[in-house]
Amino acid sequence: MSDNEVTLTIDGKSVTVPKGTKVVDAAREVDVDIPVFCYHEKIGALGCCRMCLVEVEKMPKLMTACTMDVMPDMVVKTTTDKVEKAQKGVLEFTLLNHPLDCPVCDKGGECPLQDNTFKYGPPDTRMEFHRANNAKATPLSPVITIDRERCIACQRCTAYSERIEQDQGLVMLNRGFYNEVGTFNNEPYNNRFSGNVIDICPVGALTNTDFRFKARTWDLTNTETLCAHCGCNCNITMGTRLNELMRIEARPNDAVDDGWICDKGRWGHQFVHSKNKIITARENSVGGGKPTSFPVFPHDCTIQDAAGKVAEAFKKIAEEHGPESVGFIGSPYTTNEENYLYQKLFRQSLGSNNIDHKSYQDTPGLPVDHYGVEQIETANVVLLIASDPTEELPVLDLRIKKAVTNCGTRLVSLNDQTIALDKYSSQSVQYRVGSEALAIDALANGLARELGEPAPAKDAGQTGISAEDMNTLVETVRSSMKICVVYNPSALSGDAVSRVKRLLKLIAKVPTMECGAIPAAPMTNAVGAMDMGLLPDFYPGGVPVTNQDEIKKQWGENAPTTKGLSALEMIARAEAGELKALLVHRSNPVIDFPGGSRVADALRKLDLLVVHDMLETETTELAHLVLPSNGPGYDEGTTTNIGGRVQARKKALETAQAPDWKIINLMLNALGDETDYQKVLDVTDEIAQKVPGYQEISRKSLGKAGCDRAPVTSVDETVAEQSAGSGKNGNLRLRVATSLFSHDKILDASSRLAHHFLPSTAHLNEKDAKKLGIRDGDTVLLSAQDVTLEATASVNNRCQSGGVVVPRASDWQGVNGLTGADGGPTWVEVRKV
Amino acid sequence: MTQILFKNINMKDLHTMKVYEEQGGYQALKKAFAQKPEEIVEAVKASGLRGRGGAGFPTGLKWSFLAKDVFPRYLCCNADESEPGTCKDRELMLKNPHSLIEGMILCSYACRVEIGYIYMRGEFHDLIFNMGKAIEDAYAKGYLGKNIQGTGFNLDIYTHLGAGAYICGEESALLNSLEGERGEPRMKPPFPAVEGLYAKPTVINNVETLCVIPYIVNEGAEKYASMGTEKSKGTKLVSVSGHVKKPGNYEVVLGTPIREIIYDLAGGIRDDNNLKAFIPGGSSVPMLPADQVDVLYDYESLAAAGTMLGSGAMIVIDDTVNIVESTLRLISFYMHESCGKCTPCREGTRWLYQIVEKIMQNKGQLDYIEKMEDICDNMNMKAFCPLADACVSPVVSSIKYFRSDYEAYFKNTPVGSV
Repeated sequence: MSDNEVTLTIDGKSVTVPKGTKVVDAAREVDVDIPVFCYHEKIGALGCCRMCLVEVEKMPKLMTACTMDVMPDMVVKTTTDKVEKAQKGVLEFTLLNHPLDCPVCDKGGECPLQDNTFKYGPPDTRMEFHRANNAKATPLSPVITIDRERCIACQRCTAYSERIEQDQGLVMLNRGFYNEVGTFNNEPYNNRFSGNVIDICPVGALTNTDFRFKARTWDLTNTETLCAHCGCNCNITMGTRLNELMRIEARPNDAVDDGWICDKGRWGHQFVHSKNKIITARENSVGGGKPTSFPVFPHDCTIQDAAGKVAEAFKKIAEEHGPESVGFIGSPYTTNEENYLYQKLFRQSLGSNNIDHKSYQDTPGLPVDHYGVEQIETANVVLLIASDPTEELPVLDLRIKKAVTNCGTRLVSLNDQTIALDKYSSQSVQYRVGSEALAIDALANGLARELGEPAPAKDAGQTGISAEDMNTLVETVRSSMKICVVYNPSALSGDAVSRVKRLLKLIAKVPTMECGAIPAAPMTNAVGAMDMGLLPDFYPGGVPVTNQDEIKKQWGENAPTTKGLSALEMIARAEAGELKALLVHRSNPVIDFPGGSRVADALRKLDLLVVHDMLETETTELAHLVLPSNGPGYDEGTTTNIGGRVQARKKALETAQAPDWKIINLMLNALGDETDYQKVLDVTDEIAQKVPGYQEISRKSLGKAGCDRAPVTSVDETVAEQSAGSGKNGNLRLRVATSLFSHDKILDASSRLAHHFLPSTAHLNEKDAKKLGIRDGDTVLLSAQDVTLEATASVNNRCQSGGVVVPRASDWQGVNGLTGADGGPTWVEVRKV
Repeated sequence: MTQILFKNINMKDLHTMKVYEEQGGYQALKKAFAQKPEEIVEAVKASGLRGRGGAGFPTGLKWSFLAKDVFPRYLCCNADESEPGTCKDRELMLKNPHSLIEGMILCSYACRVEIGYIYMRGEFHDLIFNMGKAIEDAYAKGYLGKNIQGTGFNLDIYTHLGAGAYICGEESALLNSLEGERGEPRMKPPFPAVEGLYAKPTVINNVETLCVIPYIVNEGAEKYASMGTEKSKGTKLVSVSGHVKKPGNYEVVLGTPIREIIYDLAGGIRDDNNLKAFIPGGSSVPMLPADQVDVLYDYESLAAAGTMLGSGAMIVIDDTVNIVESTLRLISFYMHESCGKCTPCREGTRWLYQIVEKIMQNKGQLDYIEKMEDICDNMNMKAFCPLADACVSPVVSSIKYFRSDYEAYFKNTPVGSV
C-alpha cells in the first residue's frame, strides 16, 4: 500500500482506496450501497440532502458519507439501527412535500427517490397537512421544464451549474422552505450544457421538454451509441420507442466525455426523422447540365441495381478518360468503415487517388504522442492553437475548465480571435487574422533559440504579437513539465498545420518534457477520415502514396502511387472540364467549401455527379444520381475521436434501407472485388488487418467504452519559407469561425435548439470600425468575390485590427461565398449600409 | 463587582478617541508590539478566554490553529449578533467601538493578519456609521494603516453590513456572505483557520471576545484567569430580557448563580410574578424550569444542567406564559431563518411549526407530542449546521419540563395564568 492509499472498514469489509476518496465512493468499491440524492461523483460533495448518514466509530454523531474523506482505520457502519432510523427520517422529510405523482412522472421507473424510498424509506408518512403545492410545469428554457413541486432542493443541478459549467446560470433562489431552483431575473437557462441537469436530477423536477409525457422509461429501447456531431464523440444513450427517437441521455465515459454531453448532442439529433431525409436512390433531371450517357434509375430501381450502375459508370469514365478523371469527396462525419470502403473502391477498383474529405490542409499522424482527452487533466500546460473548444468541441471546453479549476493546469492560447475560454487562460496571445503561420513560427523560433537550435535571429513579418508576450509564451511552453497542444487544423490557413507539427517536434526536444497533441478539428470523425486514407497523398494509416512497396503489398500491384487531387483541386479541375465524374459522400461542398456559387458552377460541369447523402442539400440538387445514406441513428460502425479513441456507433433505429457500407460493398462487387461483408464488423476486422494503428480494434476491444488506436505514422513535414502577406488596401482579412448552433441542414428550422441560432454577425476591431465609421449594432455589408453578405456589426475587438471574424451562423448566410475557391486568403470590403 | 468590558461603559463620549485614550485606550498596543506575536497567542491561551459568540471554544487555541505560513490571512469580527435575546455586541460597538478596534489590532498582530472585516448584521445600519467613524479616527491616529506605530505591522479594517439572515452568524455562512455568495454554511473541513475567507486562513471571533483582548494584554493573563471558575474564566456579558424589572446587559464573573442575575441585577420578575422558566444562553439552547435558578452561570454548570451558556442571552419567562405559545414563536423564527440548504432543517422546522400551530388551534391529537419528539430526533445532529439543533432545543426542553402545557390543549382547556 502506498502513501497515497487509505485502508478502512465499511460494514465489516476492508477496502483500500486513494487518499481523498469520499466514504460514499469507497463503499461502492465493496458493493455497499449508501443512498444519496445530492452527491454526484463528478460534481463533488454538497452535504445537502443528508441521505447518506452513516455511523463512524469514535464519532459522536452520524456523519454524511458524501462529505467525509476516508481516514486510515476508519470503521464505517451503514446498517445499524441508528443509521436506519436516520435514513427513514430523512426520507420522510424529503417526501413531506413531494407530490408523489409518480404515475405521470417522466422519471418514474428510473427515479432515485423512488428507489431509495423503496429500499430505505418509511412504510408511510406521518404528514397530515397540505403539501406545499409549488408550481408545476414551468419552462426554464425552451428545452427544459421544471416541476418545482417535485423538486427536493438537493441542489445537485445548481452545484453542476457552479462547478461544471462554472457560470452559475442555475441558482437557488429565496430561503428556507421557499427556496427554489431558478435563474437570475428569470432569464432562460441557456447554457450549452444545460441538458445534463435532466440526467442528474434525482427526481422528476428537471424534465426534458421534448420528452415530457411521451413515453414511460421502461417502454424505451435504449441503445448505447455515440453522438454524431463534433469530434469529441461523446457517449450517449438513444431511447427509442416504436422506432421513433424519444430522448438522448449522457452515457458517462471518463476517457471521452467525463459524463457530460452538450445540448447539441442531446437535442440535435431530430434530423433522424427529418422530412428531408433521402430514402431512395433517384435520378435528378438536372437542367443545364450535360446530358449523361449513363443508365437511368427507374423509380423502382433497387439499391443493388443503383449501386452497380453507379460503379459501372465510374469505371467506364475512368477507362475512357483515365483514372485521374474520377474523384471522390468523402466526409469527416461518416464512420471509419464507410470511409475505408470508399477509398478502397476508388484506389483498388478505379485506380484513382483523387480522394479527399476536407477543404483545408492537413496530414495524418503526429510527431509526438497523440494524447487522449483525459490527458488534459494531468498536463500542467494546455496550449490551444487556433482552437475554440466552446464552439467547436464543447465537451472539451468542460474538460479544460475542470483541469484549470481543479487540477492546477495552466491554459495558454494562441489564436486570432478571443474565445470564451480566455477567462481561464493565464495568457491569451492573439495574432492577426491570417498570420497564424508567422505566429506559430515565432513560437517555434523562440523555443529553438532557447534550445540552441538553428533559428532565424529575427522573426519575419507582422503578427501583431509583442516580443514580450511571445517571450512569455515561449517561457511557459519551455518550462512546462507536461504539455498538451490542442490545435484545430480546420481553422489554420495555408500550410500552418505543418508548422504546428514542426513546433511539436521542437517542443519534444525540450529535455525532461512530456509532450502530446490533440488535433482538434470540430468534425465527428476528422481523425478517422485521415486515418482511413481519405486523402490524395496518403493511404490508410498515414502511409504516403510514395511508399510503393508497402502500398503494393497491402493494396495490390495496380494501386495508384501518384499523388491525387485534393478536394479543392478536384473542384478546380471540374471547373476546367478535366474532372469528369465525382462521387460525393455525406458532404455539401456547395455550402461548406470555400468558393460558394463557383463550387456549384464547377459541379454542374461534371459529366456525372453522384451524391450519397442522408439529407437533401444544395449539392444533392445538382447531382445526376442520388443515393440514400442512413446516417446517425440508423448506421453502425466506428468513429475515431480527437483523442484517437475508436468507439462503436450503434444502430438505434430500424430502416428498410441498405446501410452505406453495404451499398459500397455492392459497388466493389460490381467492379470485381469479391469480398462479401456480412456485417459492419467484418469491415472493422479488415481495417484492423490493413490499417496501421488499428490492429487492436475489434468488437471485443471496443466494448462499451472504446479503445485507443495506436498512433498513426507521421511524415516529416517540409514547410516553405514565408514572407509577410500583404492585404488589399483598406479591406479586412476574413476569418470564418465555427459556431456550435449553426442553423444548417442538421439543426434546421424545426430544431429544438432554434433559440440558440445567432444572426449573421461581423466582429470588428474598434480601430477598423472607427476608420470605417461603423458602430456596434450597425448593419454592414461584407463583399468579396462579387458576393455580398449582410451582417450586424459587433465592435468587440474579437480580433486584431485588419481582420473581421464572421461566425458561421447558418447555411443561408453564405459566408463561404466570400472566400476564394482556391482556399487562399480572403479580403473583404466592409461597409455600412 | 468586577467589570472589564463595562467598566466605563456609560461614561460620556467613551466612543470618541479622546475619551477612550484618556481611559487608557490603545495602551495595550505598545505592550503588545514589544512582544512576539506568538507570546500574545500564548497569553490569550493562558487567560482561559473562550469564544463569547456561543460555542465557547478557547480563543487562544483557535488562533494557534491557523495554517502555518499561508498568507494573506484574514480576521473576521462576527458582529452578526442575531441570536434572539442577545444585544451585548450592539452596546459594546455603540458605546465603546475603540475597544473592538484595539482588540482587532491585537488579534491581527498576534495572528499576522493584515486585513480585518467587521461583519455586522443588516439591522446595524445605524451602528455601521459609528464604527466607521471610530475606524477613521484610528487611522488618523496611526493605529490602523501602514506601519502602525513604526513597527512595520500593517492593518486595514473594513466594515460590512449583512443582508438580514440569522444563518450568517454561523461562521462559514458569514464568510460566504462576506464573499458575496449565498448565505449558506460551508462544509467543514476545511475549517476557516485553514481555508476561510477567499480560501485563506481566517480567524473569526465575536465582538465581545475581541473586546476582552486589550484587558488581557494590559493586565496579564493571570489576572484574567484568576476570575471565574476552573474552566470558565473571566467575565461574561449577559443580556437579560423578558419578564424582569430591569432588562439589559450585565457583566458578571463566570460562576455567578443565575438567581443573582435574575433577581439582583435584573431586579426580579415583573409584577413580582413567579419565574416559570428561563433560557440561559439565547434561543438556541434548551430552556430550564424555575427550580434550576440556582445553577451557576458558567459553561460547565449549565452543560451539567442540560443546557448551554451560548451567547449569554438570558430570556426570562414568568408564569403568565403558555410555553406552547413561546415554543411556537421560537420555531417560527427558525423556520423563517432556515437557509434551506439541507433537508431536515428546511422540512423539519416547517413541520414542527405546522404541528404546534394545530395543537394551539385545539385540533391536536394525543400522539402529537410523541411525533414531535421523534421529528426532533430525526433533525437533531443530522442537519448540515447547528440551526436545526437550535430549533430542536426549545421544542424538546419545553416538552420535557412543561408537558402539561401541551396536554392541556388536548383536553380542550386553555392553559396560562389561570
